[in-house]
Amino acid sequence: MSTKTNIIQPNRQLIRPCTVVYGVLVVLTLVTWSIGRAGLGGLWVSLLVLGFALFKAQLVGDWFMGLRDIRGIWRWVVVIWLAVPGSLITLAFAFSHGG
Amino acid sequence: MRGILMDTVVRHEQARPGYPPGDLAIWIFILAELLVFAIFFAAYAFARSGQAELFNHYQATLNRDTALFNTLALLTSSYFVVRGVVAAREGNNALCARWLWAAVAMGGLFLVIKASEYADHFAAGVSLSSNTFYMFYLSLTFFHFMHVILGMVILAAVAVKAGRDGYSPDDHTGVETGASYWHMVDMVWLILFPLVYVMR
Amino acid sequence: MQYQSQAVAKPYFIAAIGLFVGQILFGLILGLQYVIGDFMFPEIPFNVARMVHTNLLIVWLLFGFMGAAYYLVPEEAERELFSPGLAILMFWIFLVAGALTILGYLLVPYSGLAELTQNSVLPTMGREFLEQPTITKLGIVVVALAFLFNIGMTILKGRKTAVSLVLLIGLLGLAVMFLFSFYNPDNLAKDKYYWWWVVHLWVEGVWELILGSILAFVLIKTTGVDREVIEKWLYVIIAMTLITGIIGTGHHYYWIGAPEYWQWWGSIFSALEPIPFFMMTVFAFNMVNRRRRNHPNKAAVLWAMGTAVMAFLGAGVWGFLHTLAPINYYTHGTQITAAHGHMAFYGAYVMIVLTMISYAMPMLRGRTAAPSNRSQVVEMWSFWLMTVSIVFITLFLTGAGILQVYLQRYSGDPLPFMVVQDKIAMFYWMREVAGAVFMVGLIAYVASFFVGSRDPEATAVAGDSAAA
Repeated sequence: MSTKTNIIQPNRQLIRPCTVVYGVLVVLTLVTWSIGRAGLGGLWVSLLVLGFALFKAQLVGDWFMGLRDIRGIWRWVVVIWLAVPGSLITLAFAFSHGG
Repeated sequence: MRGILMDTVVRHEQARPGYPPGDLAIWIFILAELLVFAIFFAAYAFARSGQAELFNHYQATLNRDTALFNTLALLTSSYFVVRGVVAAREGNNALCARWLWAAVAMGGLFLVIKASEYADHFAAGVSLSSNTFYMFYLSLTFFHFMHVILGMVILAAVAVKAGRDGYSPDDHTGVETGASYWHMVDMVWLILFPLVYVMR
Repeated sequence: MQYQSQAVAKPYFIAAIGLFVGQILFGLILGLQYVIGDFMFPEIPFNVARMVHTNLLIVWLLFGFMGAAYYLVPEEAERELFSPGLAILMFWIFLVAGALTILGYLLVPYSGLAELTQNSVLPTMGREFLEQPTITKLGIVVVALAFLFNIGMTILKGRKTAVSLVLLIGLLGLAVMFLFSFYNPDNLAKDKYYWWWVVHLWVEGVWELILGSILAFVLIKTTGVDREVIEKWLYVIIAMTLITGIIGTGHHYYWIGAPEYWQWWGSIFSALEPIPFFMMTVFAFNMVNRRRRNHPNKAAVLWAMGTAVMAFLGAGVWGFLHTLAPINYYTHGTQITAAHGHMAFYGAYVMIVLTMISYAMPMLRGRTAAPSNRSQVVEMWSFWLMTVSIVFITLFLTGAGILQVYLQRYSGDPLPFMVVQDKIAMFYWMREVAGAVFMVGLIAYVASFFVGSRDPEATAVAGDSAAA
């Protein structure tokens, strides 16, 4: 029985941070939506919105997928992935705005 | 004191698994899927840089409000899935099944909203051949749409097994497998939403 | 051999090897015609030689697939084949129909063959790879249906495994997609559109399922790794194959009059087609590294490894080289395509059939697991000769293709087609030499069945027989 509580304890502790993360995700989504609604555009606003998106995806990877608690290459798999579309999108938007 | 702290840190480090939650095969699949989406996103961005005005013009015709609700639906479903995984780890199969079905329902809500958006577009005569923006918008969102369906099928299969008391604290890889896939579907939308609906 | 009825695979394998020899013979004739245009004219004109070379390939691979299925399915289903008699009957029908068709190509002018076989009733002839007379196509459908019935009943009545189900889906898809060869619209764009449903969805769709399941079967048998592990990989690989392969059809729709969005869809999804092949490579090497026994048939394991590597190179890498629309704009229909075609067909489909033959033939010939050591040595020589020469054929054709693209389509002062062909003749000569080496390898392969056939069976290396 004592081993079982050992397993349960960290899982219970997972709920609260995930709820907080969920709240952060919702708030950032609303911010992104408001920026769109306000019709804001341009390179820096776009990159800010992209930054929010990458951060949100990172939160999902770390907390919801649970990669935070993993060792080695799999810990960084989402980060590495996000770097690919993140940098390419940045590059493309810099092209279209910088001319 | 410091010694004890170091000791727990080290032990914690050793206890950390080297593999992500769920079956390794689903992670190979997730990686491949993520690569597809990454290429799709980059293609969108670069195609846009050539015709930014056209993209900005037609982006304004999209319904950002429904997209907001869809984002919230997916975020909420992902949160439900997290709760389902915790329940499974505690050995509470019935609770796990309830959370997972709630997540599936949220996925269903996403599909309904997205389908109504498509209906509006098609009623307006929009098609893949209308222009490059709509080509990308329809392709990207529809490709994601199909992933939501697949994710719901996987979650439903896991929920059914949980409902039959099929998992235990020692053996619940199936739940984590389905959860990992679903979070991927959510995560991809978190990039897709700002890229296609907001960034200009 | 665990089940008597598996023996029906043997004539299929022998026919496959026989037709393989014929295919390579015509390949050599064809290769020479690239540099000596009137070689064997008028007996065997270029177009006929090409038709025979490609049609023989398809027919012998089909023989190989059917033989593989007849061997594999009883063992997976754990019961005798539903009807061994039907399998033998279909073998003879297919062989005779195939032989008559090839003779028709060689003896009668193509238009005369069309008239002779009443092509006008239901016109299906005259399209690349689908040149067979309509009546032959009908014969293929009959044989395929009887074959599927036989295999399907065996699976339904026996144990259902992931390997046999994936194989069945692949074979079913093969038959269903072939039906589009009967659809021959007058509109050329439409004709091409559906023609690819046969050609592309075969080799980059359902055939890959067949490939995956045969590879999985041989790996289960030779490595002793748990079936669950191998099946899981199989599922992931076929899911990726279908996602990338089906939409990847778009890479054939760039320039035939299909809507423009295919340039995006085709480019993006076919750029990912190497992934399942890469997974297959990782999978095969992983399984062999985790093996729980050393199988005495080292040649079969070598073929399986070779398939995994060469399929990735030929189908994956060489396919990717010219799959993106902006690149394909220049390379379309050049020797780059021929380079890809040679290595992909050899690496994926020739090698998987030879893997299966290598694995099954010793049992079909009354041994318990493996041929003699001497026989295996010759077989492994043939493996290296054929594989290395196909690599060289591919490299020479790639060189020819790059030069062709530049001279004919890219340079500021483009040259006419035939002038360019003269300029790249050197590459064609080198290709022909590599082809002759391939033939030597093939002869060695055939010889491996006769060398040391009375020697005792090879055994696994001592100390590794824990799970044997």
